[in-house]
Amino acid sequence: MNIHQTTTEPALLSLTEVARAIAGKRFSSREVTQSCLDRIAQWQPRLNAFMAIEGDEALAAADAADAALAKGHVKGVLHGVPLAHKDMYYEAGKVVTCGSKIRRDFVATTTSTALQRLKDVGTIRLGSLQMAEFAYGPTGHNSHYGAVHNPFAVDHITGGSSSGSGSAVAARLTFAALGSDTGGSIRMPAHFCGVTGLKTTWGRISRAGAMPLSQSLDTVGPLARTSEDCALLLGLMAGADPEDPTAIAGPVPDYATAVREPIRGLRIGVPTAFYVDDLDAEVAKILDETIAALRGQGADIVQVELPDQRQLTAACQLVLATEAAAFHKRWLIERPQDYGPQVLMRLQNGLAIPGVTYLEALRWRGPALAAHNAAVAGVDAMIAPVAPVPAPTIAESDIGNSPDAESVIQRLTRFTRPVNYLGLPSLSIPAGFTKGGLPVGMQLIGRSFDEAMLLRIGAAFQRVTDFHDRVPV
Amino acid sequence: MTRPSPKEIKAVADVAGVPVSAEVAARIANSIGPAFEGFAPVAGTLPFDLEPATFLLVQAVTPIKAAK
Repeated sequence: MNIHQTTTEPALLSLTEVARAIAGKRFSSREVTQSCLDRIAQWQPRLNAFMAIEGDEALAAADAADAALAKGHVKGVLHGVPLAHKDMYYEAGKVVTCGSKIRRDFVATTTSTALQRLKDVGTIRLGSLQMAEFAYGPTGHNSHYGAVHNPFAVDHITGGSSSGSGSAVAARLTFAALGSDTGGSIRMPAHFCGVTGLKTTWGRISRAGAMPLSQSLDTVGPLARTSEDCALLLGLMAGADPEDPTAIAGPVPDYATAVREPIRGLRIGVPTAFYVDDLDAEVAKILDETIAALRGQGADIVQVELPDQRQLTAACQLVLATEAAAFHKRWLIERPQDYGPQVLMRLQNGLAIPGVTYLEALRWRGPALAAHNAAVAGVDAMIAPVAPVPAPTIAESDIGNSPDAESVIQRLTRFTRPVNYLGLPSLSIPAGFTKGGLPVGMQLIGRSFDEAMLLRIGAAFQRVTDFHDRVPV
Repeated sequence: MTRPSPKEIKAVADVAGVPVSAEVAARIANSIGPAFEGFAPVAGTLPFDLEPATFLLVQAVTPIKAAK
């Protein structure tokens, strides 16, 4: 039995555990929701993880869920489970700020497909979570709403752009949270905050009703405590959607079964270069320990030479900057003063990219993915650090729009952007802690639409480690 | 392929309908320049019969199970 199953504080359970506890009437939805709200009240002043807290509404919804359950009416597998998500998922009638001043009062008239699918199986809303302005920042700073703080060291960053999602899941304020990943925005906060984060294959989950940043790169995915929880959420959200023609059709794999399978005999690749270059010493040590743990589970570890990742990173930046500038062009003309300095600077970068260069970067995606597939043909997944360093302090990463801001951002996200450009899935798993107590994550990188393999490996790793179980105090 | 100069960026931004000052153009050149340099080995080398949608074709035929 998992030690969590004996806890008297429901908020400390995993998503899978709490869903079972409510269904089995070991805890009521009200008890679970109140437990989360108690922790939110305790932690929010230190973390700034929530954009809005809707305690009264959440408790009323919990009572309704309990009443329905008493009558035998179960909405779905997450009946009565309270969650909060990155404040960029539209929910009809709710303010969705997108972390911005420009959308401070924007009330959505539709509900995003991903969110609706979670509501359809019984989740209830705790509020909304902080994020980088328009999801365009990897640190967790926000010049309008303040920085979000890392629960394991509150003077350190959470990573972004899903900063509130990483912080709130780590502090056990919500059992899971939606994030989005365009250049690393799920994996960075998962790495820095010690939670599990799944960047899905481009096209795996509908983007309808999610704030756009770069239509060629944007992906929807969960941050949660375990691979098992991410598998549960992915299975609920994946699949075709008439509102988003880029969401692929076809059957959704059984991710819940995949996470129970052993990894003996699987081949996991370690890059020979780029992802292992210039690593912080503690990150390098944790990479070695993670590889050893996977080998101990019976996986074969092999060296893999990947194509030049620097070119992928550059192409990713050209596509992202151009598409972001295009989405924001009207506001760049009408309301430039309402952007934070760094976001304005980065949006303006896109103005400099000629159309031919942008299209060349898009045209190269197919050959680049084919070259990657050829390089990894003999392995089931790759493993690499999410970032070369653990979380910097908030003060030292407060770079604003300084002349070297973009180069600092590029260095921080250099291990995540190639994956976005290729549209691949990647699972960030908590893999260790530094001597100073900062979490470190590793990313498993898979084939297109093979999230099941990553979740299987992640779950196997989490059966023999406890980094995902550590609760900040 | 070389990084655009601040003067060229100012002209492109004007054409895009979002004029920027000389100072901002210089900052943009500094920020985005490395991306142009990083992509330079690819730029101008792509074959004629290649569309962005080729990516979807490659993605769709990706073998899920690794070759052993």
